[in-house]
Amino acid sequence: MSKTKLQIFTNGLYKENATFYQLLGMCPTLAVTTSAVNGLGMGLATTAVLVLANMAISLLRNFIPNKIRIPSFIVVIATFVTIIGMVMEGYLPALYSALGLFIPLIVVNCIILGRAEAFAYSNNVIDSFLDGLGMGLGFALSLTILGSVREILGAGSIFGFSLFGASFKPVLIMILPPGAFLALGILMAINNKYKSRKA
Amino acid sequence: MKEIITLGLKLLLISLIAALALGYANDATKDKIFEQREMANKEARIAVMPDADEFEKIDLEQKGITDDIIQEGYTAIKSDSLIGYVFKVIPKGYGGAVEVIVGISNDGKLTGVRIGNMNETPGLGAKSKDIEFYGQYNGMNTTNEIGVSKSASSDTEIKAISGATITSKAVTKGVNHAIDAFKGLSK
Repeated sequence: MSKTKLQIFTNGLYKENATFYQLLGMCPTLAVTTSAVNGLGMGLATTAVLVLANMAISLLRNFIPNKIRIPSFIVVIATFVTIIGMVMEGYLPALYSALGLFIPLIVVNCIILGRAEAFAYSNNVIDSFLDGLGMGLGFALSLTILGSVREILGAGSIFGFSLFGASFKPVLIMILPPGAFLALGILMAINNKYKSRKA
Repeated sequence: MKEIITLGLKLLLISLIAALALGYANDATKDKIFEQREMANKEARIAVMPDADEFEKIDLEQKGITDDIIQEGYTAIKSDSLIGYVFKVIPKGYGGAVEVIVGISNDGKLTGVRIGNMNETPGLGAKSKDIEFYGQYNGMNTTNEIGVSKSASSDTEIKAISGATITSKAVTKGVNHAIDAFKGLSK
């Protein structure tokens, strides 16, 4: 059974969403989602790497021998991450300093290695591009949602705009590390309930 | 044996191409990155010493300042005369080093304090970046060491951010180190 192009794209976007369904890439997910804009920025940076790495690996899939595929994937991924890091520092310094340490850590984001291994190494370039884009945007979307929930509850604002005025007392724990686990757990529960009802 | 050589050569080729791509990207972005960093630093210096026209870097070691917390020092110049000093200090906060830029005028008053890169807790220590906090240092006298109070600010004390005493104390410590350096230089 071969999937249509649209199915390949939506698979990562929602059905097998990296964050809420596969639970991959939890480290950046939990760490950077203190605000909606950080979640979006991290998601888009990961998407860029994912799309480029997927395409490069798909192009090289007949050249890379099976035995050294993992080191080859890591070299390709690390190269793209470093280049994107440099471009961001040069042209988007504010976002670069907000994401800081987590940019180089995109290298070890298991979504990217996972898609290289599970998809790009055995599919053609166009399908790999769509898969990377779908998975990446799905990741960006879930990070933005998680960041928004935490920002609304923990700081009373969204994308930096204050929502409730000065009388609002923010639930500080939501933008502290425990809040990441609480918000992620609750969002996953809601998602699962919706999915199981549909099935 | 033959297989190992093939594998090795292929990996070498992939790494070689990656290295070339990185070298090219580095070359294409390094000027821009340097420019961005310089601009951010310069903006911070102007923010703490708005009257100055230009800043000149001080050779700290040559002036006998060996304090580890003090990273950079500048003289602030307005129409060829020295009007004060700007220091970049890196005291240790709750989440590692906190970059603090301190401006001190010739007559020994703080002209401004700004917080640069830091890793303090969002919602708590990260509030040190708000003017409510750093604005407190404006115009303070450097004759006495600046203290930190939990309740209210005074002439010699700033009010700590609630829930972030460590950060507030760290920033103040940085400012005090800058004051010491200022006293050493203006002697």
